[in-house]
Amino acid sequence: MTNLSLAELAGYMRQLGEGALVTLELFLTSFALAFAFGVLIGIATLSRSRIVHAVWRVYASIFMGVPSLLVIFLTFYGGSAMLGAVLGEFGARIDISPFAAGVIAFTVVYAAYIAELVRGAIENLPKGQFEGARALAIPPAIMWGKVILPQVMRLALPGLVNVWSFMLKETPLVSLAGLQDLVAAAKIAAGATKEPFIFFVATALVFIAFSALSFRLAGRLETRLDRGLRREATGHPPARATA
Amino acid sequence: MNGLPIDPALAWGSLPALFDGLKVTVILTALPLLLGLALAFPICFARMSSRRWLALLAEAFVTFFRGAPLLILLYLVYYGLGQIEALREGPFWILFGSPFGCAIVALSLNHAAYMVEVLRGSLLAVPHGIVEASEALGITRRNIFIWVKMPLAIRYGLKAYQNEVVSFIKGTAIVSVVTITDLTAVANSIFEQTYDPFTPILCAAAFYWALVNLIRIGFGLWGRWLNRHNAEGVAADVLVPGRAAALRRTSDLGQVTP
Repeated sequence: MTNLSLAELAGYMRQLGEGALVTLELFLTSFALAFAFGVLIGIATLSRSRIVHAVWRVYASIFMGVPSLLVIFLTFYGGSAMLGAVLGEFGARIDISPFAAGVIAFTVVYAAYIAELVRGAIENLPKGQFEGARALAIPPAIMWGKVILPQVMRLALPGLVNVWSFMLKETPLVSLAGLQDLVAAAKIAAGATKEPFIFFVATALVFIAFSALSFRLAGRLETRLDRGLRREATGHPPARATA
Repeated sequence: MNGLPIDPALAWGSLPALFDGLKVTVILTALPLLLGLALAFPICFARMSSRRWLALLAEAFVTFFRGAPLLILLYLVYYGLGQIEALREGPFWILFGSPFGCAIVALSLNHAAYMVEVLRGSLLAVPHGIVEASEALGITRRNIFIWVKMPLAIRYGLKAYQNEVVSFIKGTAIVSVVTITDLTAVANSIFEQTYDPFTPILCAAAFYWALVNLIRIGFGLWGRWLNRHNAEGVAADVLVPGRAAALRRTSDLGQVTP
């Protein structure tokens, strides 16, 4: 069926491997940034200010209602012009690489989803957690870092895993802005060898394997984040009074 | 550049083309939604079947078509299937020979895989006691499914279905890679003609945003109608009990998903 020599195949495999590294790098950078901004935005939107709330609603509505592909194109094609508007003459000369465009676009889009998750999780925490921290005179920074956010992460984990796998499946879009990632490498190899079927199935399997691996790790992380509840009968952690 | 990066004249002038693109996007959404749903039911039954080989086969289908990025599925159908001689000679070539047919096939398979999980989650959420009660009343299995399980499952799974439909619409933006002139492709071609990076893409984004929010409103009304017998406010929170607590690789019903 195939008429590829082994040496040729090895060459393409190397290219695919390099592409996979680019994809992975893009994905991890974007997810880390989106996570950091998402948590910060999620906390910021708890403020009672009407303006903060309105800005959040508009931001979330826009980026949850528009395809990521368009956001990528917008940052890639319009990025330098936007920088020019902000930074003046100096900014206009900065060219946005496809990689940077992808990272910016995914960060902006997925920070909205993560912020929504974090908001929901914080609102689901018993009020006593905040009141207790305040009563013990725990400074805000330590309260967030040691009391609230660990519990928030436990509540938000299933949603975060969802976002993680969704974002992973959207990373190939950046290849349409010209990034030489796994999918671009597969497309080149498929075109050159006239064996598109094998290369695209292999690429799909790489993505599936990576998701399977990350689900495994997420399961471990869940066990770890649940360690405070492990002594309870598992299955129904009710919102019990923390006396 | 003036304050706003949008050129109103260009935006106005490109409206007809954008509407044409929107029409293609809507067709490319509606057809796979129907086909995918039709495909999801038998696969879901296979997935829940007690026959192991059938369940495994269905699970493999779901794992592959859910796990593979849509772009790769599209490339696979568009470039990959043309390699198979039998298919090229066969009668289905009318379907696989055109970019439109390929996009429909790839999108339907992807949507079906997601819908299998949504359906399965919703069906599993139906309390078992209700089914047992219906059996005790001597209702046939088919009637139990149609009149007891499905109506409840729709209510449990509506939120997950809405999320899937919304993310699916946004996912269709990639069909321009196989030369279909959908909304994104129209915006791109206007950009290539005018080198205005903002106006066409922002206009297309506004169209997508409107479409997505129309769907959201529609689902909101549907949900309200389905739960019209419930007290106001309670209806909004008909979530699957205990589902959000556990980490599940399947769709988390009620969770916000992209």
